[in-house]
Amino acid sequence: MTVRRDLVGAVLAVSILAVAPPLVGSSYLVGVLTVAVIYGLWAASWDFMSGLTGRENFGFALFIGAGAYTAGFLDTLAHLSPWWGLAAGMAAAALFSLLLGFPTLRLKGPYFALAMLSASAIMQRLMLIFWETTGGEEGLYGIAPLFSSPLAYYYFVLAATVASVAFLVMLARSPWGLILRAIRGDEATCLAAGIDVTFYKMVSLIISAAFGGLGGALYAHYQLQVSPQLFSVVTTITVIIMVYVGGMGSIYGALGGALLLTLLTELLRDFGQWRLLVYSLTLILILFFLPGGLVAPLWRRLRGGGGR
Amino acid sequence: MLEILLYGAVTSAIYALLAVGFTLIFGVARILNLAHGSFYALGAYATYVLSSTLHLPLALAAPLAVLCVAGFGVLLERVLVRPLRGSQIGVLMITLAASLVVEQVLLITFGSEYRNVPSFIDGKVAIGHVDIGGQRLLTLGVAVVALGALLLLIHRTRFGAAILAVSQDPEAAQYLGIPADRVFAQVMGLSAGLAALAAVLAAPFLTVQPGMGLLPMVKAFAIVIVGGLGSIPGSILGALLLGYSETIVAYLVSTSWTELVSLVAVLFTLVLRPAGLFGKRAAF
Amino acid sequence: MSALLRADGLGKRFGGLRAVKQVSFELAAGEITGILGPNGAGKTTLFNLLTGFMAPDEGRVEFAGKVLTGLAPQRVVNLGLARTFQLCRPFVGMSVLENVMVGCLCPRVRADGGGAARAMELLRMVGLERKAQTPAQLLPYGDQRRLEIARALATRPRLLLLDEPFAGLGKAEIDPLSDLIRRLHAQEGLTLLIIEHKLREFMKLVTRVIAMDFGEVIAEGDPEGIVQDPRVIRAYIGGTEDAHGAA
Repeated sequence: MTVRRDLVGAVLAVSILAVAPPLVGSSYLVGVLTVAVIYGLWAASWDFMSGLTGRENFGFALFIGAGAYTAGFLDTLAHLSPWWGLAAGMAAAALFSLLLGFPTLRLKGPYFALAMLSASAIMQRLMLIFWETTGGEEGLYGIAPLFSSPLAYYYFVLAATVASVAFLVMLARSPWGLILRAIRGDEATCLAAGIDVTFYKMVSLIISAAFGGLGGALYAHYQLQVSPQLFSVVTTITVIIMVYVGGMGSIYGALGGALLLTLLTELLRDFGQWRLLVYSLTLILILFFLPGGLVAPLWRRLRGGGGR
Repeated sequence: MLEILLYGAVTSAIYALLAVGFTLIFGVARILNLAHGSFYALGAYATYVLSSTLHLPLALAAPLAVLCVAGFGVLLERVLVRPLRGSQIGVLMITLAASLVVEQVLLITFGSEYRNVPSFIDGKVAIGHVDIGGQRLLTLGVAVVALGALLLLIHRTRFGAAILAVSQDPEAAQYLGIPADRVFAQVMGLSAGLAALAAVLAAPFLTVQPGMGLLPMVKAFAIVIVGGLGSIPGSILGALLLGYSETIVAYLVSTSWTELVSLVAVLFTLVLRPAGLFGKRAAF
Repeated sequence: MSALLRADGLGKRFGGLRAVKQVSFELAAGEITGILGPNGAGKTTLFNLLTGFMAPDEGRVEFAGKVLTGLAPQRVVNLGLARTFQLCRPFVGMSVLENVMVGCLCPRVRADGGGAARAMELLRMVGLERKAQTPAQLLPYGDQRRLEIARALATRPRLLLLDEPFAGLGKAEIDPLSDLIRRLHAQEGLTLLIIEHKLREFMKLVTRVIAMDFGEVIAEGDPEGIVQDPRVIRAYIGGTEDAHGAA
């Protein structure tokens, strides 16, 4: 019952996203929505690992940046077909997740959070320091578009995101997701239930990273350039705030939170410099007054029934 | 050689001031403070405002700046961290949000351009064949004195005894009449003051801009992981290790590669000795 | 009968304190054995050593012919040695049924399938079937114990280690729990090792007792013999524990 209502809700939401641009007929809206949907993919990927297992990834921007720069390099230096960039972006992000996850995820304590935050901050610095190859502050530009029409690209991004998020939601509701939520509950009890906690955390991090990298590559082919800002802590925090607004652990809520926050901040466009301040104050308010988030709890109430 | 010895010592001293405060509040209150870098940035900007805008003499502005930031640390613990202290995630998120707010407020107030903070000593001093800025030497001296005073404070005073008791077991300390909550706030103030002290000393020869706190904080993470989370001697040793490794890499290879040192150090430590040099058992 | 579990010279140090020293014993398949001892005697540490939650400094553990020493806890569980915790730690934010389903997902039993249906069956066995959808952390204490047992049973153990199953329970909850343990032993053929210091109920339940004090085994034998052993009486009267119901 709840599954059918979820499907109806998803179809409705996707239809609105698909129909809005031609109806409004504004190329500006297409751009805003493309970015919003990519943020949605990032938020959902973050939520899959960190929201479900409770291991906060404060360096998610590392995966975004790795995906974007890989796609950028393949396109501007190797001149491969841009489609390769999407796959390579996913692979590069997954590789980074392996490198950082392996030493940190088997440990108790805050090592994972600290190592991820450090790694992304240092990557951002490295992009500036090795400016001869990375383009420094300007980054890489002149990246080829995947489609000549922005609307076509928007539909492609929407399709990729919907497919990815559907996959992540299904995984989160499968036995796999049950184990991840159990890890959030108590790791020692998980071990006593015969579950290899490190393995599950590691594989979910790789999945989360791969989709983050895909989002990064999609973003590179939308902006047609990549900059070191992608690696910044601000990028990570923006994604995390979207997940908090959406409600942790539901995946679809994260997508909703991203759309909501991106579109709302478009209204604040004239106050550009206040945007991040508003974001961080939103986060503080949510932590204190709405720890369950907004989007997912709202949908659960609308839908009725139990479940997530 | 002498150059490496001197410059490495100065870098280590700044790192040690930052890392000790970070590890202290974690060891005592289990607060992993992602706003620690904000204390550093606020220290530099407070000195800038007090001396350049309000034209206070530096000898007055600098200690005042440290006190202001320490007060901000206490306030942060009281208002934002304390209500969420039950959840580790909550603490991480709220301190991260606070650091973002600080950075944005600095950005909106002062803009993104670099600011100059006046130094106590302008000239250079020749030691052997090495010319080193007087401010750097002062930084080294003051940091050593401050760290020594901190160790005395912890091991020789009633306040220090209270800190140690609370860090062992907050509940038991409470039964002994030690107000754990007040100690947490005081230690947060102490930790913020140390970071601000590092900023006041180092700001004249570093760039002062709103995002300046992030990278030093990342270094502090690395040091604390290498030294062992919660251990003060560990973080001083870690600071020396990292400070000197960076200086050596900068001289032998190039300054470009110094940023990688801390990341490599962290990964190596976590693979080989997860608890750090001085840490207790941290792995499963 | 050959030994199902064999501990040989186990030792564990915490700093200067030797929490467990030179502990050796054997469990035969089908036994209900009790470990008796005052607080701080090293019982829970011994459990941690047997189940891989801690690595021993010395000695070895053999289970069903395999050496367990050095294996991670989840590997031990998947060989058929499950445990419960003294302080119940259910998965917060998950229902009672989901809590048990996690146990059904370990590699040892996952291939058997059954998932939710098998979990439900286990809940019926421990008498929690009507609370299947309750959030686990809202269960009363006695029910959390049953949930712990159900989750451990979900991994289909050959040997189940219960860490103070009666601690903090009232008389009204103790008897049904004893019955449940007896039933598991009789119907499922489970071998059990139980830590306890509530003597009266315990002595009626177990067939053999290993008494510990200061990290060492001080006596071993049937329940009637053990309560008359002078070393055990001394440990209990000299220790922190009062000897209510000891005789």
